[in-house]
Amino acid sequence: MNPLFIGTATRRLFGLYEPAAASRGKPRAAVLCYPWGMEYIYAHRTMRQLASRLSAAGFHTLRFDYFGTGDSSGEADQADLVGSNSDVEAAMEALRDIAGASKVVLIGLRIGANIAVSVAAKHQSQVEALVLWDPIVSGAQYAQTLAEGSDISDRVLGEIRSLDLQSSLEGIPERSMILVTERLPSHEQLRLPVEFVQAACPWVEEITLSGALPVTAMKRIEEWLR
Amino acid sequence: MAAVEATYKEQAVLLGRHSLVGIVTRPPPAQQRDEPAIVVLNTGIVHRVGHHRMYVRLSRELAKSGRTVVRFDFAGIGDSKPRNDSTSPLMASLADIREVLDSLEKSHDVHKFVLVGLCSGADHAVLYTHMDSRVVGLVLMDPTLPPTFRYYVHYVMQRLKNVRNWISVATGRSGLMRLVSTHLINRMRPRAEVEGLNLQNLRFSSYLPQCYRAATARGVRMLAVFTSVSVRHTYKQQMLDAFPEASLGGQLRLEFFPESDHVFSGERERDRLRGVIADWLDSR
Repeated sequence: MNPLFIGTATRRLFGLYEPAAASRGKPRAAVLCYPWGMEYIYAHRTMRQLASRLSAAGFHTLRFDYFGTGDSSGEADQADLVGSNSDVEAAMEALRDIAGASKVVLIGLRIGANIAVSVAAKHQSQVEALVLWDPIVSGAQYAQTLAEGSDISDRVLGEIRSLDLQSSLEGIPERSMILVTERLPSHEQLRLPVEFVQAACPWVEEITLSGALPVTAMKRIEEWLR
Repeated sequence: MAAVEATYKEQAVLLGRHSLVGIVTRPPPAQQRDEPAIVVLNTGIVHRVGHHRMYVRLSRELAKSGRTVVRFDFAGIGDSKPRNDSTSPLMASLADIREVLDSLEKSHDVHKFVLVGLCSGADHAVLYTHMDSRVVGLVLMDPTLPPTFRYYVHYVMQRLKNVRNWISVATGRSGLMRLVSTHLINRMRPRAEVEGLNLQNLRFSSYLPQCYRAATARGVRMLAVFTSVSVRHTYKQQMLDAFPEASLGGQLRLEFFPESDHVFSGERERDRLRGVIADWLDSR
């Protein structure tokens, strides 16, 4: 495991690179996109485990903190969706350089999935596959759960409210999957099939405290990417 | 945009034999003060950034005032790999602290340290301190306190207000009875060693007062911060009552955050906390 900073002098991003344990043929690489806020805190352990599993399965992996989050530079009030999109681009570029891979897999959890969708649509030729793990289907509904007592600015809340998974699925790579551990009625409207797995929701506090990991979900991602 | 790190530098590092993942935040060399390095410990299983990123901001603010600050993950927590041995979780965490201090001493030429921790982090800090004379200060947020007589009085008064508790006492299922019996049993079996101890039985162990006693005898300064939901803390002077033999009076500063929850969710409370810690560090 290699902790490192990527990005630019004014936008330094903390990341953890794990080399592929065993690789055959062309190098494969995966960038993991975290959720935001407390979901990021609770899901951190799951994302670390997922990175390690993928690394053991032959992927070079990089997970990183968006600007203004985690150990990356910037303050919390400077984090926004537009910036996070550019951070994923920086992470893709860094990982392609490190691993010598021409394409990367993008895996996003919660709002990280929405960020990954947006970047994948913009850089289709650089994305081998896209995994959307419990993405935010309706930004407006998600924003309601955040607004109370949150430190998020009105500007960023506005960005979040405008998230609409259905419309952003236009132009994503052919090889894409939506995986959910929590069934929602809104999933039925999506134009991509939604795969449900019985597993713990990794972004909630209860899971963090109980120590449960969404093993079946991680296994499914690993299997699907093989 | 101005350079984001004009007043501090952050470095991602692997510390010690077990390659614990950490971030070292330092001021520019010209602004470096000859002060103890600050080492921030994990809270439970939350990784080194802390709840609401509180340790990131704390590290940067303290580095801006000329101090070296390190936050890291214990083995098996956050980004650090788990150990492959059979060391108990508590002993492993204490060993990790030593590894980090040893590593910083070699790599950064610092020889004195202040440990900072919230909840379990505070308990780890206290338990470790009396084993290592390099630790000269402690910032303890909601540390474990043993029950005191006045605590029991508060507890009983609270419980008596609820009819359901009367039923529990009558049916022998009272939490109070369990609490008192556990306390009495552990008093009869005082523990003199950290081996075999865990954070769950710490509250009733005689080991905790011993740690405070040893730390104060060595002149370790302490800042203890209590929030509104500090575990088993019901009145302001409880810490002084809990450790009377430790003579904490002169070396201990107590601060209360009645408006704050356990993890400092409010930005205003986090701002105040950073101010209190910086002021305490400067007041030596």
